[in-house]
Amino acid sequence: MNEATQAEEIRDNWIQDNISRKNAGDVLLALTGYRDNQIKTHWLSADGKMKAVTTTCVDAQFASLSPSMPEVAWDEREIHDLFGYQPVGHPDLRPLVRTPRWPDTFFPLQKRSDDFAQWNDVEPDNPAKVVEGEGITIMKVGPTHAGIIESGHFVFSIIGENILHLDAHLFQNHRGVEKALESLPIQEAKPLISRICGADTVSHQYNFLSAMENLAGRRVPESVEWQRIILLESERILSHLNDLAQIPAGVGFTVAHQRGLAMKESWQKGLAAIFGHRFLFDAMYQEKMMASKKEQLQQLLVSLETMWMKWRKLVSRQQGFHDRMHGVGVVKREDAEQLGAVGVALRATGVSVDMRTIMPLYRHNRIHIPQVTGGDVEARFQVRLQEVEHSFALIRNALEHLQGKNQEASWRIPDDLTGEVVSYSESPHGLNVHVVQMKNGVIERYHVRSGAYRNWPVLALAVAGNAVADFPLINKSFELCYSCADR
Amino acid sequence: MELWGVQIIGVLLAILLSPFYVGIAQTVKARMQGRRGPSLWLGYYVLKKLWGKETTAPEYSSWIFQVAPTVSLSALTVIALFIPWGGRVPASWPHDALTVFFLLALERFWVGLAGLDAAGTFGGLGASRIATLGSGIEPAMFAVFGLLWYLTGGTVITPIMPQWWAHPLHMLPWGLAVLGYALVAIAELGRLPADNPDTHLELTMMHEATILEYNGRLLAQSQAAVAIKFTSIIALGWVWLGPNLASPWLNLLLRLIELTLSSMFLGVIESLVVKLRYFRLSTYLGIAMGMGMLAVYLVAFQGGK
Repeated sequence: MNEATQAEEIRDNWIQDNISRKNAGDVLLALTGYRDNQIKTHWLSADGKMKAVTTTCVDAQFASLSPSMPEVAWDEREIHDLFGYQPVGHPDLRPLVRTPRWPDTFFPLQKRSDDFAQWNDVEPDNPAKVVEGEGITIMKVGPTHAGIIESGHFVFSIIGENILHLDAHLFQNHRGVEKALESLPIQEAKPLISRICGADTVSHQYNFLSAMENLAGRRVPESVEWQRIILLESERILSHLNDLAQIPAGVGFTVAHQRGLAMKESWQKGLAAIFGHRFLFDAMYQEKMMASKKEQLQQLLVSLETMWMKWRKLVSRQQGFHDRMHGVGVVKREDAEQLGAVGVALRATGVSVDMRTIMPLYRHNRIHIPQVTGGDVEARFQVRLQEVEHSFALIRNALEHLQGKNQEASWRIPDDLTGEVVSYSESPHGLNVHVVQMKNGVIERYHVRSGAYRNWPVLALAVAGNAVADFPLINKSFELCYSCADR
Repeated sequence: MELWGVQIIGVLLAILLSPFYVGIAQTVKARMQGRRGPSLWLGYYVLKKLWGKETTAPEYSSWIFQVAPTVSLSALTVIALFIPWGGRVPASWPHDALTVFFLLALERFWVGLAGLDAAGTFGGLGASRIATLGSGIEPAMFAVFGLLWYLTGGTVITPIMPQWWAHPLHMLPWGLAVLGYALVAIAELGRLPADNPDTHLELTMMHEATILEYNGRLLAQSQAAVAIKFTSIIALGWVWLGPNLASPWLNLLLRLIELTLSSMFLGVIESLVVKLRYFRLSTYLGIAMGMGMLAVYLVAFQGGK
């Protein structure tokens, strides 16, 4: 067999294997690049089994999956930017993370990139995709916004009051988290993992711990498991309360906005008193839970539910608010599935996928998935409303099961772990995946693919065809995280 | 002589107290949201602060950008002069409603022009929006004032309420005119549900988008103009549709009380409603226009006048 046909076979197998996984109904966890020319996809089947498909780059090239699986388009562009591997056949290989200021030979995730010369002295703008023609205006918003929002540059092609196309340039503040995690002693990685994202931090901590425990073969005590459910659900409530409060702001419904934020603040203050941090950073690493704190949490939940009932009444009575949300920012079910939407955005289109039904952690819980089908702003609002209430019930249930004291203050991660493991969880913004490769207790490769990362392209699709003035509303109904892109 | 005094003091009070009345609406809104809200005097503080700041302009803007705030401030100050603060004005004092409409259009034209001149995308979007909104506000305003024209045979701002007490049957057309005027006034003032004066979201802005590029003294003038418009438009409604007493001085006092109540009422309304879809604004203004026309028909039908 000559070299050319061999390369072709590698290519065909790679594409075929992945498509057959997708057709079998498996969930794509991650597409990960490695330094040794390897590219891997990890798939999760409904029964919780994971499978990996691997390909090897030949001459720093690999076959692009994007034409048949648009959901990996960003992942492949990111690999192209950070490793320099070229996805052959990718329809849109514009830079995603890379800015023109990076020298051409600089690939952050390759080892050789440590000794780059210096930044190019050019404008940092990447080319935007716009619609051209008579009467079309290009409107640029950001990267700095008039609010406490992270950096995102949105290039709108508009005609009159209608949006034709949105090109979202995120990745403005690349932090190099994945790079920083490499060769870091495992104990020092903990705080960094907590801070990947302020909205899904507990989910990231859970993924990290679950990956380490998987490698170390630890059996997690049941009380610790219940405590983790409490933390994950507390975060879901916190995040959903914030997102729910932001949606009314998009239509000038300030009473619901401010009262929603006040409710979120009281929950957040309560969590800070119990778990030691307003955003629950590093909260899951502590495994000790005092009986007094259990009572404290119970009281906090009761007071939140009182405020919640009032707020729900306020927003459900306001017909104009529902009129503004209805039929705006529609995501069709087929589009959501094809673009790999996750979390609230996916469930709002009528797809009943929630990773908590597969996560072993939740095996003793029955997860209720909201049955909403509209795919519009209203649907995403309703999904969050129902999920908050379901989280109340899950926390209550976990508190009942949380008995006895944990002996150890926290589990110490062994210093000699070796191997590769993939962990996942359902964060407030959807499926959150960590791919971890360890060698002798040192991180070799750490890949994070969080919920918001998958939903950004879905948002761009959802706003096209809507009124310009409705963009803030649609954007807030997704409430995606920028730091998940700025890793 | 008394009328002269009332009118001059009325105009001065309308201008000087305008930031205070805007502040009342803001405070009521804040309370409804569960916040304490800023001081009632915040408007004055902001004007003072802006006046003391350096004023810069976008690189590609022309003289239009420089003069527009002054033009709109002047136009609105003249509107304040045209309103009979004591219910009546001295014989030689102009107080024609058509001139008021013209001045409002003039202000809108210059604000829109300034938005375009600044060459920002939001300014252009805002200019297009206020022009579209204006094309709906103007006919609605004319329709609502149709009642004044029908009853008095002219467009001079005259109280028409006293006529209604004699004909209780005529309360319906009067009520329609009040509602119609309230709807148009809210749109004209750029308040919810037509426009949201408090938003930070550039994409949803109308009036605010046109003045986004302003700062320093030019911004202070724009804000002063908005405040004067606030008191003038509200007071105008009360003058021709509201009750008026025999004494001009008492009328002036009544105006100030009415302004306070209206500001509070507006704060409550703004807390209860959400902003309308942009494409629904034509319906909103169409309703106001329909109310104005219906009022005239009803009076004619009842054999009024």
